[in-house]
Amino acid sequence: MEIVLAFIGSICPGIIYNVEKRNLIWVGFCGMLGWITYRTFNEVTKSLVLASFLGAVVVGIYSESVARLLKAPATIFSVPGIIPLVPGIAAYNTIQHIAENELYEAASKGIETMSGAGAIAFGILLASAVFRLFKKLKKRKPNPN
Amino acid sequence: MNGMKTNQVIEVALKAGEILLTGGAEIYRVEDTVTRICKCYNVEAECFVLPTGIFITVIDNDGNPVSIVRRIRKRTVNLEQVEKINSFSRSLQGSPLSYREAMMKLNNIIGLKGYSYALKFFVAGINPFAYALLYRGTAGEACVSFLIGIVIYAIKEKITRTGVFEFFEYFISGLTAGFLSILTIKLFPFMDLYRIIIASIIILLPGLAITNAMKDALYGDIVSSMFRITEAFFVAAAVGVGVAIALSVGLRWI
Repeated sequence: MEIVLAFIGSICPGIIYNVEKRNLIWVGFCGMLGWITYRTFNEVTKSLVLASFLGAVVVGIYSESVARLLKAPATIFSVPGIIPLVPGIAAYNTIQHIAENELYEAASKGIETMSGAGAIAFGILLASAVFRLFKKLKKRKPNPN
Repeated sequence: MNGMKTNQVIEVALKAGEILLTGGAEIYRVEDTVTRICKCYNVEAECFVLPTGIFITVIDNDGNPVSIVRRIRKRTVNLEQVEKINSFSRSLQGSPLSYREAMMKLNNIIGLKGYSYALKFFVAGINPFAYALLYRGTAGEACVSFLIGIVIYAIKEKITRTGVFEFFEYFISGLTAGFLSILTIKLFPFMDLYRIIIASIIILLPGLAITNAMKDALYGDIVSSMFRITEAFFVAAAVGVGVAIALSVGLRWI
């Protein structure tokens, strides 16, 4: 059930961002895979940051590979794909604590939110860095001189 | 060369770059596309792109440098146009088009409307609906989020079209989400406030800005990367402040 929801939850931003119809289904799978990874590791390790990071790595790897297959920019898959991973609950808690003037709790939740967002960002970064490395190695091979 | 003048080449390349940048492409993609298009017509170009402008300089046939600067003021997210330009520049590699054909193709891409507004409104509702359920909310909460999502999208579109201060629309959207959600839990006290709010603001969060910030950093475009990170931070802060004001006012005095 959650998997289906994550699928819908990344297709919808896809439509809002005008992703083309024939790519939408791949966008959906992107969000779905990211969410499955995130959920699994969140259950196992109880760590939001680690789970977000791994989820984002999966989203990144998936979108770079699909982008190569479909000859489309990777961004159109990764941008809607990370939406399910966004640390929404932590962000909300931060705001709520600020509104209730509980600044210590707000700070701790705020750091949780920032680390979650940072983990997503570095997950995406890592995946594209690895793909870029492969691309460079591939380019070097045909002319060894 | 097939009869295209140097300044026409720049015009085509610049237009393609402009569409990419306003559509939300990464910096390296814009620079790469512009130089590639120029190369297709045997023009060596040096291109420098910032999130707020494109600078191109080429040397024309007489050896004089020609330079064009284009200021970019409007940045939206339109991934369809990014993809279309991507395949446009790919297709140029095999067979360079004439000036007229190339411009026509680019204008067609600009004219692409994407999905209809009716569909987008519906989707703007379905999205919070799905997220409310994903955060283990009840069906009732999901339905409320559906309505709030549509209202927020309508307001946001309205403000975007009026074209005021960029982050204002996010502030207002957050404020609206907060007040509507508080109104809901006053009417139906058994519902959970936080699920409704998170589900309805999730579409406002700056996913593209963060992704692009990282990709720009990876390709060494640190200036643009900082720009994107700041943009993401401002957007998140604007939404957050909106929600916070709604919460502190709403929970105390309503």
